[in-house]
Amino acid sequence: MTAQLERVLGAFLADPAAPRYGYDLMKAARLPSGTLYPLLARLEHQKLVASAWEIPQQHGQPPRKYYRLTAEGIRAARLDLAHASARRQHALAHSGRPAPGSLG
Amino acid sequence: MRGERHLLRIGEYLVGRACQRLPRDIREERCREWAAELPAILHDPQIRLAPWRAVRMLSYAADTVRGTVSLSSKSRGRTPRITPVIYLLLLACLGSMAWDIWSTVRAPEHGLNYLQLAWDVLLVAYPVSVLARSCVRRASLIIISSTLAGEAVMLWNAAHAPRDWVNYFAAALFFAALLVLLRLVWQLPRRRSRTGRA
Repeated sequence: MTAQLERVLGAFLADPAAPRYGYDLMKAARLPSGTLYPLLARLEHQKLVASAWEIPQQHGQPPRKYYRLTAEGIRAARLDLAHASARRQHALAHSGRPAPGSLG
Repeated sequence: MRGERHLLRIGEYLVGRACQRLPRDIREERCREWAAELPAILHDPQIRLAPWRAVRMLSYAADTVRGTVSLSSKSRGRTPRITPVIYLLLLACLGSMAWDIWSTVRAPEHGLNYLQLAWDVLLVAYPVSVLARSCVRRASLIIISSTLAGEAVMLWNAAHAPRDWVNYFAAALFFAALLVLLRLVWQLPRRRSRTGRA
């Protein structure tokens, strides 16, 4: 899993039930549009993310496309992030440095 | 904000340009989606400075061009009918170019050969521009082209100094490298589709 994908999944998992639009995800994941949208397209193709057009609450705004994790997506994202975190902990332990937060 | 309409128009123009690179089946929806984000970025309450919001909106719009390269290559995978034709065309053009290189080596004083070679380079450029969209493909094409050029130089040297065995040895090495590279490039799309990478 790439660092970018990890950030996107992390942004989704901050509130899995909430629909997120592209710019919102860009800010949360700190990714440019050219990186984010291909990732979202890939996740949508894998049926981990579903999208729908919704009208924003602010008056006069055009309809926007909102993304949210599917049930399968939530499960896969949690699993992938846990694996990534475990790998990082493992790498830190083997590098001889203390893991962040392990020094009290 | 002053000049908001002009800024939005520039942003929409950039998004429109980006969307032109997308296949027709996803073009309109993507264009609508990206264009809808532009006013939202321009009115983002979290960014206090208006010029910074404008820069953010324009950089968003400009960066969609980069995203379309990946998106279009993914959807190209869904329509693989054209790809073999392009590969065949490329192969034919490369064959023609190799023949003209050989003709030029044999008769370097004949001006028409150089003209034909230039024409072949132009012909090769078309399928290459169609195929070379992803970074890996572009890189592999550059490596293969340089190996091909090396092979041509060694053949040239061998033609000029037929008694020097080093030229034949180097030409054989380049040829072997070319075969290995072509094999790798041939296997690359299959390996990528197996691992699910775009």
